[in-house]
This record gives sequence, structure tokens and C-alpha cells, in this order.
Amino acid sequence: MTATILPTRRPDGFSARPRGRRGSPLTPWLFLTPYLVLFTVFVIVPVVFGMWISLHAWDFTLPRRPFVGFDNYAKLFDPSSSTFEPFWASMRATGIFTVLSVPPLLIIPLAIALIMRANFPGRNLFRAIYFAPYVLGVAVVAVLWRYLLDNNIGLVNYYLGQLGLPDDIAWTTSTPGAWVALVWVTVWWTLGFNAVIYLAALQDIPAELYEAAKVDGASAWSQFIHVTLPGLRPILSFIAVITLIASANMFGQSYLMTQGAPGRETRTAIYQITETGLRGFRMGDASAMSFVLTFVLVILSAIVFIAFRQKREERA
Amino acid sequence: MTQTQSTARRRLFSIAAGTATAALVLAGCGTSGDLDVGGEFTGTYDGPDIELDYWNGFTGGDGPFMQEMVDRFNEEHDNITVVSNTIPWGDFYQALPAALTAGEGPDVAVMHLDQLASFAARQLLLPLDDLTDQLGLSADDFTEEVWSAAEYDGARYGIPLDVHSLAMYYNTEHFEAAGIDEVPTDAESFRAALDALQEAGYDTPFWMPSRWPSHLMNLTLQWQFGGSPYGDAGEEAQFDSEAGLEALAWQRSIIEDGYSPADVAIDTQYVAFKNGETSITWDGIWQINDLEASGLPYAAAPVPTIGDSPAVWANSHNFVIPTQRTSDENSVNAARVFVAWMSEQSGTWAGSGMIPARDSVRSSGVLDDTTQGAIAEQIESMRFLPPVPGIGAVQAETLEIAVADGVLGTRTPDAAMTEATRSANQLLEENRATFGE
Amino acid sequence: MTATRSTPARPGSEHEAAGHPIPRRRPLSKAAIAGRVLRYAGLILLAAIYISPLVFMFLTSFKSGPDATSVPPTWIPDPWTTQAYETVFSATNTPVLRWFLNSMIAATLHAALVVVTAALAAYPLARMNFRGRSLILALVIGTLLVPPVILIVPSFLVVNELGWLNTLVAVIVPTAASAFGVFFLRQFFLSIPIELEEAAELDGANKWTTFTRVVLPLAKPALATLALLAFLTNWNDFLWPVYVLFSPDLQTLPAGLATLQSANAVRYDLLMAGAALASAPVLALFIFLQRYIIEGVARSGVKG
Repeated sequence: MTATILPTRRPDGFSARPRGRRGSPLTPWLFLTPYLVLFTVFVIVPVVFGMWISLHAWDFTLPRRPFVGFDNYAKLFDPSSSTFEPFWASMRATGIFTVLSVPPLLIIPLAIALIMRANFPGRNLFRAIYFAPYVLGVAVVAVLWRYLLDNNIGLVNYYLGQLGLPDDIAWTTSTPGAWVALVWVTVWWTLGFNAVIYLAALQDIPAELYEAAKVDGASAWSQFIHVTLPGLRPILSFIAVITLIASANMFGQSYLMTQGAPGRETRTAIYQITETGLRGFRMGDASAMSFVLTFVLVILSAIVFIAFRQKREERA
Repeated sequence: MTQTQSTARRRLFSIAAGTATAALVLAGCGTSGDLDVGGEFTGTYDGPDIELDYWNGFTGGDGPFMQEMVDRFNEEHDNITVVSNTIPWGDFYQALPAALTAGEGPDVAVMHLDQLASFAARQLLLPLDDLTDQLGLSADDFTEEVWSAAEYDGARYGIPLDVHSLAMYYNTEHFEAAGIDEVPTDAESFRAALDALQEAGYDTPFWMPSRWPSHLMNLTLQWQFGGSPYGDAGEEAQFDSEAGLEALAWQRSIIEDGYSPADVAIDTQYVAFKNGETSITWDGIWQINDLEASGLPYAAAPVPTIGDSPAVWANSHNFVIPTQRTSDENSVNAARVFVAWMSEQSGTWAGSGMIPARDSVRSSGVLDDTTQGAIAEQIESMRFLPPVPGIGAVQAETLEIAVADGVLGTRTPDAAMTEATRSANQLLEENRATFGE
Repeated sequence: MTATRSTPARPGSEHEAAGHPIPRRRPLSKAAIAGRVLRYAGLILLAAIYISPLVFMFLTSFKSGPDATSVPPTWIPDPWTTQAYETVFSATNTPVLRWFLNSMIAATLHAALVVVTAALAAYPLARMNFRGRSLILALVIGTLLVPPVILIVPSFLVVNELGWLNTLVAVIVPTAASAFGVFFLRQFFLSIPIELEEAAELDGANKWTTFTRVVLPLAKPALATLALLAFLTNWNDFLWPVYVLFSPDLQTLPAGLATLQSANAVRYDLLMAGAALASAPVLALFIFLQRYIIEGVARSGVKG
């Protein structure tokens, strides 16, 4: 799967397809065993268990946990049920956040990578600065920004006021302010990771292509369009998918910064699943929600991959 | 601060609590078989030396007072040593069930009244009826409301230590500047005070939060307007009753009439009060120690009666004895001795800013000259959530959101409360099925 | 790497060919100097704005309570005080140093476990042909799409069955099955020229020797990167530890501090001191390892 997603692009055209030979057929499994044990016990078993839970009215504090078949799923598609409204409202919030956050998370890190790829004194320091917030935990990021974005004592509104801009935006209790805040905080926090990946890919674009473009008299912009972007295309699908998944799983920021406010407008799907399953003890409902969300993510990821692959093929 | 202000944290830990609780029964470690442990309680403990693990959540200014009481208990009891383990409330409700699962839970603990039914329904607590019988404790020495709210399914699970309610805090300098001599006690005088404050230059004298403790204000107002948010026995949500709508409309009117900025961010109303930016705030009496320490010129008074009759939301810390796989008769009996003693001696506890639950303790003079003394006089009008398992989650999913929407003005009180009532009843119904009522 | 840049390129020439030394530096014109200064000023300004929230966090942690919530907000503490830290360290039942130690132990062992198991698993997935290989790869990558939140309860039950509750093992092991780690290292291994391994095998080395003597040394940047990422994830986790550790002595630092903060929701001086305490170790570690990260990511994950 990944072999096709992330094709080898070695300058010598050498294919890195695995070529195992020799050695006992057991060898790969010996290597794999430690990981597979962990993976089975702490991923596969819980996932399968989660599926099983989703078929039950599952309050795990109680001995009685009746089997309900696909009722929990059916409820998610029945507008009069107790889970329909909260779930789809939260899916909508997740959708809004994803649509708003993925483009800046794809574009801004690229701009930073383009600047940082040039060699200049202190470059490492600048790189480190842009990556630094990524090492913080969401708990720290959220409490820090809740403070900065406070519409009364916060720095952000204070400086907006100094600049003559509206200084009374309620960043955590009103939309669209809350969406702007959540997207901005997420970009600030995670931009460094995407930037580093872009940086790596940029370093890999053969210099000859730029030389050739320059000989043809191409402007910087035209070089970007005709050399840089095509050179980045293979990793764009990778960055797009991991960013998409990360955004679709957003939880901590809204949980700790806005508490889903206003109302439940910024309460994302993961947030709702947490509320339903872990606070409300309704793990059957929560599991069903999780798998519907997973299903949507699988479809979206597939679409992204296919879209990028087709473009490549068209080009070829 | 015995109770955190931040709903986020509370919620986080409740979630954790839920999962852990849930898990332990699932894992086949249900403790229902141990409910008889302890046998006949004789009022004293004369067994071998024993160490009791005692869990509570008094992390704030109340902590030292609790420790003082525990130390005195240890001094007076040669064969019992109580070891406190103070875990912040949020964590506490997660740690307790998890610890019980692992056989490392406490012998005795304190928890909030509105958590009792949920824990009892999950069979994590020992009934304490024989203890109250033995001690001769009865509703007579407590207010009816707090006493009956600690009962679930015909059995008593908690011995109340204190009650703590919302209070009205006001900035005395502002009041002076505005020429307000009499603390407002009803809707009219409250409005008049707000107007006077505005005239004196305090433009937004009463900040209206949309989250914590906004839903507690809303419950207070619902009760004041004669409503019954969860019906008489907690069987049916009635937020959309006239009282519920009036309560929310009043909260919204504070913003619309310009007494509060719109969109008050989480916890900001309290910060603003401490900064002297707003003149009045309604918050729990657990803030008293924090306000004392801040040096702000403030005073506390009962929440004014905006509706028809006095009422105020309250909660209570209760002693409980958890079911424990490792419990034996000795530890349970020693725990009972401890609970009985603490309940008798709860006068010291007034220093924490709380109001002792027992009439006999309250009337002993421990509240004289305390900030909460004035609040304590209103104890008869304190109202508690009904003992319904899972009510916390229902509340969080429905009323809290409706109140937030209504205060922020994103929905009309009617629309918000109608929707919340519908889903609350759905959830209550499902809970009843779950808990097999 | 195809592009090595040992010679400085002109600043701002981001679209210029990398790796092509500019033959001797010529004296710059005044305009060029001005342009360079301007670009630098811009860069520094942007970076300063970007990092300022962190600076503000550390400054606020040295403020007094009222100073931290003053209107309008100020940058420099007045007066400077370590009050907030003293409160954090002296609060009853908050053994901060113990938490720090717990976190260090847990995050270090967790990172080691992730790196070892992921490296072992990634190697055959990158270099050996065997039945079931694509299935395993698909499974591992597929689980990246499952929201982790649904694993919490089932994992808790497993941990309980294993008797790991209220031990540090519970925060070290269960989250160590890193699908990302396997994927990441596999991509890196694919980028290593296979000739080196073939040469080793011609010399009679078996797979294990090839792996330990040839592949792992070449993969150091990727291993360091993964170790750091795993360390960060474990260090910063604030949900899972609260579920499985309930003795105050066993808390991890961020989880423990979070609970301390729960009692002080509006004391921003304390909140920032707690945040600073939780962040300082990972920031220090990052500064120490940052050059490996760039190289590690540069050569894995995204490249074949």
C-alpha cells in the first residue's frame, strides 16, 4: 500500500522494492514478534472489543449489558433518537474544523519551508523556533492560549485594540471567533511538523531542474509552479492525509479551550464520543459513533490518495 | 477551593471516573457480594491497631482544616491511624473506582452529594443505615433536603459533613461608591443596585457567565420561580416549564439590559470580580478563602430572590464507606468510628468556608463572624439535585448547553429549553432502563 | 541526500538551486546589503511573534497572582517573584519532583520500547519478502485511521487483567504499539541504499547482523526522531495516566500538574508556572536533539 503511495524517487532510478532471499521463512516473524504482541494486545484486541461493544447497550459499570444488534448504528441515522442530533452536530463541527484547518496547515508550512530551505546564518535557530510549539502537550497549549485569547485580560485582544481593530472578540465563546481561534492555535502548535516534512522534500528536488528553469528565464513564481510544486506532489498526498486525520481527530483544543462553546458548536466528533462513552457511560453508542467516523475517514483518505495518484498519472 | 471552577477539568475527570468505574465491573470485579462486610456496628472500635486509608479531594484552602481534624482524631484514638490521601476532586471520581478495582481503594472517603446515587447504583458504596441508627443520627439534626438526597433506593449511603451553596459576592467599595446601603434581596432591589452601580460608573456590574457556574445559577432561579427542574422525584426533566423559561430569560436579560458584556469567556466573570472590573458575582462559597487571600474589599450575602420564593442551589460533602474487596470487619468498623467522630466534630470544618451540615454544630457558634455565616442562615432554602444515578451526565449534555445557548443568545430560552428537556427525558428514560428501575 | 549545502547560498534565494556553490563571494552592493538586512529583520520579527506565547508563559510564571490577570496585560513581572513556583512545590499532596521522576522514567522507557519494537518490525516490512507482509502493513496503517479514543476503555480492561493498574508499566507499555513508528522507520529503511546490506550479506552476515551492524547505524537520525516523538507523546499525555495511575506518588508530571491546576482554574500565575514546569524538560530535550529531527524526518516518512 505505502509502496504505491510513496513511490521511491531515487535519482539513480533504483527501485527499493524489498528483495528478501536466503534466511529462514521464520526470520521476518522473529523480527516482527515483539511489535505484533503489543499490537495485538493493545490495538487489535481493543478495536475488535470496541466493535463488539458497539453491538450492545453497554454500560460497563453494570452487570447487565444487553445485545442490541445494530441498534446503536440505526440510532445514528434516526433523527428522533437521543444520539442523532449530538452526533451529527459534532460531525458537522469536525467537518468545519477540518475544512478550515487543513488548507492553512498545508500552505503556511510550505511557505516556511521555502524560506528555511535557503542557507543563511542562524537557519537552524529559526527552524527550531517554528518547530518548538510542536513539542508541547495539548494541555499546555490550550491553557496558554485560553489565557492569551481571554477577551478581557488576554494579550491578543489587547494588541488588536492597540492596532485599532475590534478588541472585544469573544474568541472562546462565539463563532466564528472560536473557529478562528481553534484553527489558529492548531496551526501554531503543529505547523512545525509539516514544515519539516516539506523541507525534507524540497531538499530532494534535483537542482538541475531549477537550473534548467532559470536558463529558460523562468521567474521565481514560475519556478515554484513548474518545478517546486510538481516535485512536491508525491509527498503532498502524505501530508494531506496525515493532516486530514489529525484535524478530524481534534479534541483537546476545543475540550480545554472552548468546552465546545458556544453551546455545542465547537464540540467535535471525538469530543462527543468522549462525552457519550466515558462521561455518560454509554459506550455502545460511543463505539458506534467511532466506527461511523472511522468509516468516513477511510473514505476521505482514499479519495485524497486517488486524487493525487490520478494527477500523477495524467502527468506521466 | 474545594470545588474547581473550571468545568473543563471537572468534565475531564468525570469522564475518567466513568470509564474506570465502568471497567471494573466489566472486568468481573464487581463488589456487590461484599455489601454485608462489617457486621453489627457497636459504636466503638476495640480491635487490633489498624490503619485507615482516607481519601478526599480537599486540595485548596480547606485542606489544612481537614488535616487538623484528622490529626485530632488520631490523637484521640490509640488503635486507629487515619492516613489522608488528598486527590483533587476531578481525579478523585476517577481514581476511586479504579483503585477499588485494583484492591487498593480507601477504607473511607468523602464525596459530593450529587455523586452518591451514581456510585450507589453501581454498587460501589456500603449502605450506612446501621451507622445512623447506632449514632442516633436522623433528619432532625440535618435539613430535610440534604438528608434525603443522600438516600438511594431505600438505603443511606452518605453522612453529610457540610453544605455549600451559591452566594452573592459583592465589592464593598463599589457598593459604597454607588451609595447602596442595603444588600439587594429581591429582583427589584437587585436591579436597583445594578442601576446605581452603573450610574456610579461601573458599566458592567454583574457579568453573566455562559458556562460554570451559569447552570447552577439557572437551577437556583428555576427553583426560585417555583420550578422543579427534574420533577419531584427526579423522574422527569421540566426545564421547559414556565419557571425554567423565566429563569433563562432573566439570565439573558442581564446581558440585554447592558449589565453584563455579551460572550463572557469561561471563568472570566470571577477574574473580573477579583480585578474589581465587575461589582457582583454569584459563585460558590468555596471561593471565600481565595477571595480572603486576594485582599479584595468584598462581602458575601445570600443570592437574592429573583423569583417568587427563596431558593439556592447547593451541594454537600458526604462521608462514604466504599465497598472494597479487601475490607474486613475491623476496617469497616474503624471507618464507622471515624465517620461518626468527624460528623460530631465538624465545627473545625467551618474554617474551610463551608457550612457544617448538622444543626447542632451550626448552632454551636462556629459560624459567628465567618463570611459564610450569613449564607448559613438560608440553609432551609438550599436545594439539591435529586438522587438519580447518572444525573450529572444528563445535566452536562442538556441543561448546561441550553443555558449556555440561552445566555449567549444563540437560541431563545424557549427553543433551548424545549430541546434540552426533550433530550434530557430521553436520556433519563434510557438511564432507567440501564439501571433496571 | 541529493542536496547537500555546504556553502552558503544567498539569503532569500529560496528558489535557487541548492547544492551549487556560488563561486567566491563578491562584495555586495549597498542595495543588496539593505535587502539582506530587511529580510533578516522580517525573519526575526516573524520568529519573535511566533515564539512570543512561550516567552509570555515563562514570564507570567514569575508574576504575582493579580499581576498575571492585570488589565491591560503586561509582559514584565512587577515584581519578579517565584511565588507561583513555591505554591506549586509546597502544595500538600503534590510531590512535583516525584512526578518529574515518574514522567522521566515512563517517557524514557516508553520511547525505548517504541524504538526497539518499531525498528524490529519495520525492517522485515521494508526488506524481506514474506507471505502476509502486505496484510500486516495494511493492518498497521489502517489502525492509524481508528480514533484512539475508543481504545481507552478496552485498553483499561486489558491493563487491569494484566494487573498493571497503578504501576508505571501501565503508562509505558500499552501505548507503545506505534503504527506511526513502524510506518516511519520502514520508509526510512527503504531510503537506505540496499547495496550496503547486500555487501554485508555477501560477506556472510545474516539478517540480524546486517540489521544491527549496517541498517541501525545508518538509521540513527530516524531512530532519534522517533525516540523524541515517542517521548513527547508519552510525556504530554494527560488523559490515559489519569485512568491508570491513582496514587498521588505515581502521577506523571503533566497529569499531576493538571490536577493541581484544577483547584486554581483562574490563577494564571500558577497555571503558567505549571505549564512551564511541564514544558521545560521537553523543550530542553528538543533543543538538544533538534538537528537530528530535521535530518530524521528529511530522510524518512516521505521519501522512498
